Amino acid sequence: MPRRAVIRDIEEETYDTKTYTFEFADRGPKGMDFIPGQFVMLSILGYGEAAISIAQDPDDKSGLDLTIRNVGSVTGALSSMRVGDHVGIRGPYGNGWPMEEARGKNLLLISGGCGCGTLRPIILAHRNDQSRFKYVEILYGARTPGDIIYRKYYEEDWAKIPNCNILLSSDTVPPGQIWRYKVGFVLTMLGDMKSSPEDTLVFMCGPEVMMKFTVLDMLKMGFSGEQIYCSMERRMRCGVGLCGHCQLGPKYVCKDGPAFSYAELQGLPDHIIRR
Amino acid sequence: MIARLSEEYRVFGPVSRRSDASFQEITNGEELYLDYKTTTLPPKKFFHKTETIVQYEADKGFSAPELEVDKPCLLFGVHPCDLNAILRMDKFFSREYTDSYYTKRRQNTAIIALNCIEPGENCFCASLGTGPSIDEGFDLLLTDVGDSYLVEAGTRRGEAMAEKLELHDASKGQLEEKARRLKVASEKFVKSIKMEGLAELAAQNLTHEVWSLIGEKGGLAGCFACLSCANCSLVCPTCYCYEVIDTPDVSLKRGVRMREVDSCQLLEYSLVALGHNFRSDRKDRTRNWMMCKFGGAGGQQETSCVGCGRCIKACPAHIDLTEVAQSLWGE
Repeated sequence: MPRRAVIRDIEEETYDTKTYTFEFADRGPKGMDFIPGQFVMLSILGYGEAAISIAQDPDDKSGLDLTIRNVGSVTGALSSMRVGDHVGIRGPYGNGWPMEEARGKNLLLISGGCGCGTLRPIILAHRNDQSRFKYVEILYGARTPGDIIYRKYYEEDWAKIPNCNILLSSDTVPPGQIWRYKVGFVLTMLGDMKSSPEDTLVFMCGPEVMMKFTVLDMLKMGFSGEQIYCSMERRMRCGVGLCGHCQLGPKYVCKDGPAFSYAELQGLPDHIIRR
Repeated sequence: MIARLSEEYRVFGPVSRRSDASFQEITNGEELYLDYKTTTLPPKKFFHKTETIVQYEADKGFSAPELEVDKPCLLFGVHPCDLNAILRMDKFFSREYTDSYYTKRRQNTAIIALNCIEPGENCFCASLGTGPSIDEGFDLLLTDVGDSYLVEAGTRRGEAMAEKLELHDASKGQLEEKARRLKVASEKFVKSIKMEGLAELAAQNLTHEVWSLIGEKGGLAGCFACLSCANCSLVCPTCYCYEVIDTPDVSLKRGVRMREVDSCQLLEYSLVALGHNFRSDRKDRTRNWMMCKFGGAGGQQETSCVGCGRCIKACPAHIDLTEVAQSLWGE
């Protein structure tokens, strides 16, 4: 059953993407316990539910940040809502990123488009306490400079985090826009990064085609299929492995995922992240 | 017998409907059609149905409507394949998360099973061990032994039913007749499937020619390409997928969230925002369905095939699951 939540704050990220801070409006806690990489089901009355990755700072239980792009009926309805309006939220669901395994290791966080939301909790966790991971490197790209989400954080707040390196890219730069970072797909940043396969876990989220070619290049660089995790997107209705929609062969993305290692994905049908 | 049972239960049994049979509510035994081969829809229609799962009001939020079950139900004359399917769905809907709607309806239902002595032309339960006879999961079990039905109790509830029915003790001859008839029945099957290892085989053969034959080109044992009509899911006793739909009322201040059975054969099933579809090709969708019925999808054994043959009968493109299996086995 969804819990009633109120929009406490809205921050515009790009022309079509906003980060909403929700606060539960029932008698329970205002935020929720979750593992980075998990998602919630967001309900808008009359429109339905959509699966949204949690972008909240895991050390802050006062609310729930979700970064949401206006792309469908639920997210479209949300985009016209204002601070003080109510939604429903249930969760968290899914396995989340392998955080126990990541403890003390180097992390390479690669995302494209609005896939960066699910990695934000890790970036914020590292900002709060650098003893958690040895080193964090962030590779993030979008289609145009205008699509870059969290831009001011990447350029200011997060750029100051110790033991952290940020690389940005844009697929193209339309006339009139200024871009002082890489131009090209996300995978073009692989040559510029400091990370190596040694003692490193890779968490990746973005369009499947981006993940596919990025992973394939990384395998050539010596990364193994076991150390690369991809967060999968599927149509989801229940979030608990009952409605069937998100199946990848014997696995449910909602329950067994959304984070799957590349090695695990090789045995599963209906995705393109393979050779 | 039905009159007696009706005192305590709402009784549903197979009745003749046009060219087929259907489970319907009955009030007297004359309505029953116990020589039926298979019903168009499986008994899952009683447990997994369109229902309201959430009610909401704009200023109050969400609430779950309490599922009201009235008088206990009794399913009369359920074949072993369908009962095995129900037993699998019972497990599926109470894995990590219990589906309260399914479970509540199921717990409110008694089952009188009926062994099959005359399998249909599309049936292949014998090769799956899910028929033509069964020895668990029923309250009472009936077997047609010629001049009468042999009645066996499987639960205390079944024993209580039997006591009310004033039955005679079965003779040794009648028990032997049961065994003889079931043996004859098990030898009558035309179709069969080799299921052991099939899910693994299919998973290793994701690009096998059979998927494009059934999904795109047609030609497997004379079949046409799949029409994506989803008949197979509708009639399958272990297809469980559902879609969730919000329906606001005209005030836009309140509404309901409903769920209804869905099918992975429908194009929208795997559609996500921005129009991307992870199973846009029919061959991917038919493969997904077949893998599920082979026990290699998310539902694993709990949603796998029980050999009722309904999908074969209902398919307008004449796609036959047993032929798909044979093709994968290289036969």
